[in-house]
Amino acid sequence: MFQKMTALAWKDTIIRFSSRTELLFFLILPLVFTVLLSGGVGTGQTGAGDNRIVLLVVNQDGSEPANTLIRALAASDVVRIEEEPLAEAETRFADEAAPALLVIPAGFGAAVLDGSTAVLDLRQLPNNNNANAADRAVQTAVSDISAPWIAARASLQEAEQLAPFADDAARQAYFQQAADLAAALLADEPQRVSVTQPEAALTEANTYDQAAHQSAGQLITWVFIPLLGTSALLAFERRYGTLRRLLVTPTRKATYLLGTIFGQFSTAVVQMGILVGFGIVVMGVNWGRSPAGLAIMLLTFGLSSVAFGVMMATFVKTEGQANNLSIMLGMSMALLGGCWFPIELFPPAVQTAVHVLPTTWAMQGLADLVMRGAGVAEILPEAAVLSGFAVVFFVVGIVRFRYE
Amino acid sequence: MSEPILTTKDLQKSYGDNQAVKGITFSVLRGEIFSLLGPNGAGKTTTISMLSCLLTPTGGTAVIDNHAIPQDSLAIRRIIGVVPQEIALYDELTARQNLQFWGQMYDMKGKALKQRVDEVLEQVALSDRANDRVETYSGGMKRRINIAVGLLHKPQLLFMDEPTVGIDPQSRRRILDMVRDLRDEGMTVLYTTHYMEEAEELSDRVGIIDHGRLIALGTQEELKQVVGEQETVRLNFGEGHEANGHADLFNGVDGVLAATSLDGEIVLSVKEAAAVLPAVVTRANSAGLPIRAIEIEEPNLEAVFLHLTGRALRD
Repeated sequence: MFQKMTALAWKDTIIRFSSRTELLFFLILPLVFTVLLSGGVGTGQTGAGDNRIVLLVVNQDGSEPANTLIRALAASDVVRIEEEPLAEAETRFADEAAPALLVIPAGFGAAVLDGSTAVLDLRQLPNNNNANAADRAVQTAVSDISAPWIAARASLQEAEQLAPFADDAARQAYFQQAADLAAALLADEPQRVSVTQPEAALTEANTYDQAAHQSAGQLITWVFIPLLGTSALLAFERRYGTLRRLLVTPTRKATYLLGTIFGQFSTAVVQMGILVGFGIVVMGVNWGRSPAGLAIMLLTFGLSSVAFGVMMATFVKTEGQANNLSIMLGMSMALLGGCWFPIELFPPAVQTAVHVLPTTWAMQGLADLVMRGAGVAEILPEAAVLSGFAVVFFVVGIVRFRYE
Repeated sequence: MSEPILTTKDLQKSYGDNQAVKGITFSVLRGEIFSLLGPNGAGKTTTISMLSCLLTPTGGTAVIDNHAIPQDSLAIRRIIGVVPQEIALYDELTARQNLQFWGQMYDMKGKALKQRVDEVLEQVALSDRANDRVETYSGGMKRRINIAVGLLHKPQLLFMDEPTVGIDPQSRRRILDMVRDLRDEGMTVLYTTHYMEEAEELSDRVGIIDHGRLIALGTQEELKQVVGEQETVRLNFGEGHEANGHADLFNGVDGVLAATSLDGEIVLSVKEAAAVLPAVVTRANSAGLPIRAIEIEEPNLEAVFLHLTGRALRD
């Protein structure tokens, strides 16, 4: 049986690569799109130099809370702050020299001390992934420093009731001292429930890496489309009589289907290996954080995709239909699955709806691995969902497949 | 050449209300060439498809070398070889790669497979083009490779479904010679065709099939006795005088048993050609159809078919 499966796989491989244009889809387009959409080679965050996103900051307040916020942003792995006067910052932002500009307005510190609403002015370039990442970095910093501020403000109010401060400087000094104490106490807070995560996941949380995203997204796109093309192969065999001929040899139907799937899947594994290698060597993307997790994700993604192709074959009559449908569905599903742009750019309802697509889960799993430093345990849910897709697609495909 | 390798009994195939094969019974003896002769749509390919386990019969039985269809399909598929009507090859592969692939589907491997591939390439006279892609072949060469695939595993029984459709006379001649050679080497061949000449040239026995029924079966001599002493007269008219539609003109002539038009000619089935010719010529002239040539044929399978159905084979 294995000899026949190998023969079927080898035959399909020869047929597929008999046309040189196949190399365009197998290798050239994936590499070109990865480089173009990443903004060039060597742009991954494992590359040399500081690749953090530039965040222009204008401090019009100068209070201690404003300085605390700037220190928190400066410690971010995502953004690199550059403080500028307002005019220069606005000019650079208008020239798109930075994707985001944060203005800390006068009165910010006083509002924090009073407990009233403290307003920040964050300006972002429209439809820009880096601007979104900067927004998340600012929100993370604000969230990190808010808890000590709330505690310090409560302490300040209690102290003022006992005895008024001599002047505003004394008041601010008390607030800062209370905030520092609260931050220290929060850092040492005893935990009743302990959540353990790999070190990398903790240190690189919320990191957005354009090169890593495109390396993963383009891999999914350009592997997914040919695997959907399995439907064209099956339609071709049915239409030109080679399937009938195969079925008059002592070859079981299951052997034929398994051999065809084996061939397409093996080719996809080679393609994924090449694209991962390209991501590591040329793009500087860190694909190697969890080899076991990566293997699980790629295998489950490949299986669910080829299963989708087998299922598709039961809905098409000719290989022309199958080819057109593969490209159309493949591109749409990759786009909606967040392979080209982060799904955070989509409306919330769409973000939820696209979880019916295997590409969404594949992208989520690979992004966890390559951008958020996840390990095997973290990607198991995505791998399980992809395996579920594979089972459903295979069952529908095999039950509905017409041999005549 | 006496015991049957294939026996069918009341074999049927229906698709809903449409009965494609209406209960046919025949045997194919070991070592013979048995032809199923009939026009397009007669049920030849459906019959072959059932016998090669592609289609499940809806009635009747069929046994090949003591294996029943469809219960023992895997065992039967090892015994039979099939040359389908369509060219079922991979154009992107070379002839050798095609043969190696199909050989592996018949559980052949290693040196034995390589040697057998060389043998069949020699047999179909395409050794010199073995490493060229099939897409570069002519129609006749593709037909020969199509046959070679069916021969790879040295089947006991070879089904050939109209293997000469759409090819040039030279390739056709080569294929017919090859089929005879296969029989001489001991292979049993079930050959379907709608060409009367091929059935006459090749067959030890012939089954005539029409509208899903086997209407005659026997050796050529036995079948020709069906039409008795009848002869066939072919009337050819000059250019600009179309024969189609004028067959009925001759049905009333004394001594004419049946008349039909075929390939621009009128074909008459007559008791005695010499006796009816004057009346036939008179009838043609009076209808304004100038006869250019008259051909008188001894009884043949075409006449048998015409006698049994009132139609020409290629009507």
